[in-house]
Amino acid sequence: MFAADLTLPAVYAKGDDSRSRTGSPKPMDEARFEAFYRRTAGSLWSYLFRLTGNEAAADDLLQKTFFRFLRANPAVASEEHLRSWIFRTATNLAFDHFRETKRERIKLEERVRDAVTVLEPRDAMRHDMMRTFAQLKPRERALLWLAHVEEADHEDIGEALGVKTGSVKVLLFRARKRLGELLTKKGLAP
Amino acid sequence: MKCAHEGNVLRAAAEDRWSEALRGHVGECADCAAAAAAAPWMSSFARMSDREHRLPDPSIVWLKAQLMQGVADVARISRPITIAQLMAYFAVAAGWAALLTWKWHAVQAWLHSFTPTGLVQNAARSESLSISFLTIVFVLASTTVMLALHTILAEE
Repeated sequence: MFAADLTLPAVYAKGDDSRSRTGSPKPMDEARFEAFYRRTAGSLWSYLFRLTGNEAAADDLLQKTFFRFLRANPAVASEEHLRSWIFRTATNLAFDHFRETKRERIKLEERVRDAVTVLEPRDAMRHDMMRTFAQLKPRERALLWLAHVEEADHEDIGEALGVKTGSVKVLLFRARKRLGELLTKKGLAP
Repeated sequence: MKCAHEGNVLRAAAEDRWSEALRGHVGECADCAAAAAAAPWMSSFARMSDREHRLPDPSIVWLKAQLMQGVADVARISRPITIAQLMAYFAVAAGWAALLTWKWHAVQAWLHSFTPTGLVQNAARSESLSISFLTIVFVLASTTVMLALHTILAEE
């Protein structure tokens, strides 16, 4: 899914309307941005929500990602480039968020674990899945989501997580094993 | 590099549609076996509905980004002014420090002259600070006041 060259700003590969009269790439206008946002924000929010386990944090990180995206003056070649840039930036911001809120997060996780709540069956399942996923390390969560849901290749996952492409295979294997162990513990393993 | 069959394994595991060849491959490839084990759960986890959550409106995000860009532009443009201001603070502080160090004894004597005893002695000796010293004090004091006013007015 992700493309290799993620440098912003780059020029549009095709389409003369993307360039100004001076020949420099045109920045994204509001209509283009809105269309791109509507195509990507949903999947990006899902990723951030699964990564943080917190709707407010996912909202915040989503907005920060798009602020950075607009500040980077994203006149780039393809939707794939834009999308991979967005996921990479969102991952970096999420990891920064984890570093900044480590102590609060531990308290929050304890509170969620200890909370006795009556939930609808569908919500209970959702809650249970979120709790299972939250037991993985942030990097493991990101690896699994990018590989299984976004179907990103190892090179792109490596770029998004700041690890060597060669290490992704090993890290992904470990993350899958760890998820398997958690599911076995809960009696959910296939 | 990932196994060439991984994509097919993920799809087969998510949909539970296996070919004999793929099943055979999973038996031999540890990576694909791990991927196949995680895929069904990940697939249902990804399908978990997020629809009840309302995403931030794109026009609000756009507007906020424009405002933030404006603030960033102002900060960038005013950076030389901020630097000049800091340098001026430093120069004035250094000027006062140098002056007081250089003429400390004279200043002390001058301050002492304001005591009742000092006033009497000073009247008899008619001793005071030099004109050049007073001029430097005047210049430094004026600069300090101007800098302070500039800071207050710029903040407002």
